[in-house]
Amino acid sequence: MEPIFRYTHLDTPIHRLHPLVKMGYVMLTLVLVMYPIRETDMPILLIWLGFSAVLWAVARIELRRFVTLLKILTGTFVFLILIQGLTYRGGDTPLIVLGHLKLWEADLGVITKEGTWFGLVLCVRILVATSSLPLFVMTTPTSAIMTAMGKLRIPQTVTFMFVSALSFTTLIFEMWGSIVDAQKLRAFDIDSMNVFKRAFKAYVPIITPLILLLFRKANDFQIAMETKGFGAPVKPTEIETLRARPADYVWLALIVIVFVACTVLKFAR
Amino acid sequence: MPNDAIISLQDVTFAYEGDVVALRNLNLTVRKGEFVVVLGANGAGKSTLCYLLSGIAPHIYGGRRLGLVSVAGLDPWDEPLYVTSQRCGVLMQDPEVQLFMPTLRTELAFGPANLGVDRDEIAKRSRAALGLVRLEGLEEHNPRDLSGGQKQRAALAAVLAMSPQVLVLDEPTSQLDPLGRWEVVEAIERLKQQGDLTIVMTTHETEEILRLADQVLVLDRGETVLQGGPAEVFTQAGRLEDAGVKTPALIMIQSKLVQPGGPTALATNDQRVNVTLSGVAAQAREAVEAGRLFVCSQAVPRPRSIAADRPIILEARDLTVQYPGPPPVVALRSVNVQVRQGEFVGIVGQNGSGKSTLVKCFVGLLRPKQGEVLFNGESIRKLSVGEIARRVGLVLQNPDYQLFTTYCHEEIRFGLRNVGVPEEEIEQRVEEALRLVGLSEEAELFPFRLSFGDRRKLAVAATMALDPRVLIMDEPTTAQDHRGRYQLADLARRFHEEKQGTVLMITHDVDLIARYAHRLIVLYDGRVLLDGPTAEVFTQVEELEKSFVVPPVAAQLAAELAPLGVPPTVMTLDELNRVLVPHRDGDGEEVA
Repeated sequence: MEPIFRYTHLDTPIHRLHPLVKMGYVMLTLVLVMYPIRETDMPILLIWLGFSAVLWAVARIELRRFVTLLKILTGTFVFLILIQGLTYRGGDTPLIVLGHLKLWEADLGVITKEGTWFGLVLCVRILVATSSLPLFVMTTPTSAIMTAMGKLRIPQTVTFMFVSALSFTTLIFEMWGSIVDAQKLRAFDIDSMNVFKRAFKAYVPIITPLILLLFRKANDFQIAMETKGFGAPVKPTEIETLRARPADYVWLALIVIVFVACTVLKFAR
Repeated sequence: MPNDAIISLQDVTFAYEGDVVALRNLNLTVRKGEFVVVLGANGAGKSTLCYLLSGIAPHIYGGRRLGLVSVAGLDPWDEPLYVTSQRCGVLMQDPEVQLFMPTLRTELAFGPANLGVDRDEIAKRSRAALGLVRLEGLEEHNPRDLSGGQKQRAALAAVLAMSPQVLVLDEPTSQLDPLGRWEVVEAIERLKQQGDLTIVMTTHETEEILRLADQVLVLDRGETVLQGGPAEVFTQAGRLEDAGVKTPALIMIQSKLVQPGGPTALATNDQRVNVTLSGVAAQAREAVEAGRLFVCSQAVPRPRSIAADRPIILEARDLTVQYPGPPPVVALRSVNVQVRQGEFVGIVGQNGSGKSTLVKCFVGLLRPKQGEVLFNGESIRKLSVGEIARRVGLVLQNPDYQLFTTYCHEEIRFGLRNVGVPEEEIEQRVEEALRLVGLSEEAELFPFRLSFGDRRKLAVAATMALDPRVLIMDEPTTAQDHRGRYQLADLARRFHEEKQGTVLMITHDVDLIARYAHRLIVLYDGRVLLDGPTAEVFTQVEELEKSFVVPPVAAQLAAELAPLGVPPTVMTLDELNRVLVPHRDGDGEEVA
C-alpha cells in the first residue's frame, strides 16, 4: 500500500512555488470551507474545487491519487447524503420513499431532493478541504516546509511534529499493508468483509499490531532525530533558501483573486 | 586511563528501569583510531553498550548506572544528547527509521543544521561524507527510494556529517542482503583506513569484521567473557560457542584441520587476524602432502535428492508479475518452478530478485495477471488466501505484524477459528503446535513478553497449527544471533521429517541452505537463474556471482582442494571434517 501524500520530486511551476504561497492557498481553502454553509453554495465550492484541480494538473499529480482520496471519502459521502436526504429540515420534494416515520416535522422514511442536494454540497465542501493539504505536501519538500514554518515563527517542536507526522504516514501505510497480509495468511481477510463487519470486528487484529509497532518505531525515530542534534538550543541553519520570485507573486495574486471572487459571490447573494 | 584513550569504561554496571541489569562490571579502553568489535548473543548487552556510549541511555532509555564512562572527553550521562552527538555518532540496524528527509542532500544537512553549523561547512561535510560512502551523484534522490545497502550508507553518511570522533555501529548489516552488507562493510573499511575515526561495532557476522578488528569484546548476559586482540579471542572456539558467538569458519577449519592444537595456528599480525581462503587451502595441501591429513573422499554421501516420481505439490507456471509503480517494475518474468512433495527447497537471490513476489503468489497474496499457481495440480485462482493457508503456510520475517492477542495460545486459536476448525479440535491443535515449537510453558504469556526469537516461533506455531502441506519461511535468520539462527530452520526440518511436509525457505544465509536444503533455486532479476541439487548449484560460482551469492566457506575450500580428491559436494564444516581426517599414529594420537 503506497501513501498518497508522499512528496514527489518534479520540476513544475507548483513544485517551484514558494512554500508560503502554497501555505496561503491551504489557509484560504480552510477559511472558505469554514464559512457558514448553505444549499446555494455549490457553485462557489465548485469554482474553488476547479481551481484546485487546475493546480493539481499543473503540478502533474497523477489522477489515481485523487481517485484514492475519493475512495477514502466514499463512505463519509454516502453517509452524509443519506443522513441529509432523510433528515434535512427544508426537504419538501420526495425523491425516494422508503416508508413513513414521522418525528416532529420530519418524515424519516423519505429521502428528499433538497436534503440530498445539501448532502452533496457538504460532500463537495469536504472534498475542497481535503484536496488542498495533499497538494501542498506532495509538491513541497520537507526541508522547505520546515524553513517556511520557521519563517512564520512557528516553534521548532511544532514544525517537527508536523514533519514527523508526514514521515510516519509513509511508515503507517507500509505497516498497514504488511499487517493486513499477515492476518490474511491466517484466514482473516479484511478486504473481503463488508463495511459493518469491518467497523465492528475487523480492525482489532490490524490496529493492535500497528499501534504496538508504531510505539517501537517512534522510539527509534526519536533516537535518530535527537542523535542528530534535534532540539539543540541554537538557531538552526535554514537548509533551504527560500526566495520569492515574480512568479510567486503572480500565483499569490491569482489565489487571492479566486478567493475574493468566491467570497463576494457567497455573501453578495 | 591511557593518554591516547578516547573511550574509557571503568567498572560500568547498567540496569534499565525495572532493575533489569543489562551490563555488569564492564571495563573497556579504546585508543583513537581503533576498531572495536562487540560480539554476543541477543540480549548479551551489545546494544546497551552502544546506548551508553552515545548517550541514548539515559536520555531516551532510562536506567541506573554505576562506574565511569568517558567518550571523547565527555561523560554522555551528564551531557544532553545534542552535545554528545557532536563527538559520538550512532548508526542503528534499521535504516528506514533513520531517514526522514525528502532528499539525500537535506538528510545530510539535517544534523549539522540543527546545531547551527553554517551552510558552507554543511556542504563541505556532506560532500566528504557522500564520498566516503560512495553515494556521490545521488544528492537529490529520495533516500527511501534507494536500495537497502544504499539506505544504510545514506544513514551512515548522515551520521558522519555530524563530524563525530567516535562512531558507534549497532548491527549495521543485520537487515541487509549480501550486496547491501558488502557495500556497508566496504564503506566501514574505508572509514577505518582513514584512521581518524574510532569505531565501535556490534555484530553477529564475525566473518565480516575479521580483517578489520583491532580489539574484540565478547559479552554474555551483560558480562565480559572474552576481551583482547582478534587472534586471541577467535582461537577460543569453545568459549565463543558458549557465548553464542560464531567462530569464523576459516579459523575453525584452520585450527581443527590444518594445524590441530590451537592459537599458534593463526597467521597474525599485531594480534590482527590475517587468514584467507587461499592461505588455508595452501596449508591444507601442505598438511596432506606432509601426511598429517588424509583425504577420505567417500566420507560425504551423494547429494540427497527427491525421487522424480514424487507428485508435484506446488507449481508456478509461466508467472509474470509487474508492480504498477511509478516506475513500473517487473518482479517476475515467465517463472516456471515445480516443487515435489517432501522437498526442502532453499530460495536465494538479491533483494528485488523476485523471491518474496514468488512466495506471495504461492500463498495467494498476489494474483498474477499472467501465469498460474497450482497446488496438487489444481489452480489456486478461485481459492481465498485463508483457504490456501490451510494448504500452504507462510511464516513472515517479522512476527510482530501478526501478534495482537493477550495470550500465546489465543494467537494460535485465531487462525484455527477463522478457517472453521471445530472447538474441540482447536484445543488439541493449539497444544500440539505449542509443543512443537517448545512454547508450551509460555502458553499463558502475553506474546510481546517473549523474546524476538520466541515470537518468531509463536508465528511458526500459528502457521503450523493450520496443518499446511507446504511450509514457506521468509528469512528465518534475519536479526538472529548465531545460537537462535538455526532454531526456526530446525522447526522446519521437524515439519519436513516428522510430518513429511514440503519446505521452501527464503534466506541469504548460505550456511543454512547448505545444512538443510536438498535443492536450491537462485532467482535473479525476476528469473530463475539456477535450479538444482544444492551442492551442484554451489559449484556454479560464476553464475552465482551474478546474484551476489557466495557459496559457503567449506564449499569454496572443497573446490580449491578438489585436485587432492576432496569431493566438490562438500558444503558444511562437518562434511569437511569428515573428508579431511587427521592421520593418527599407532597409539591413536594425531600426527603432529
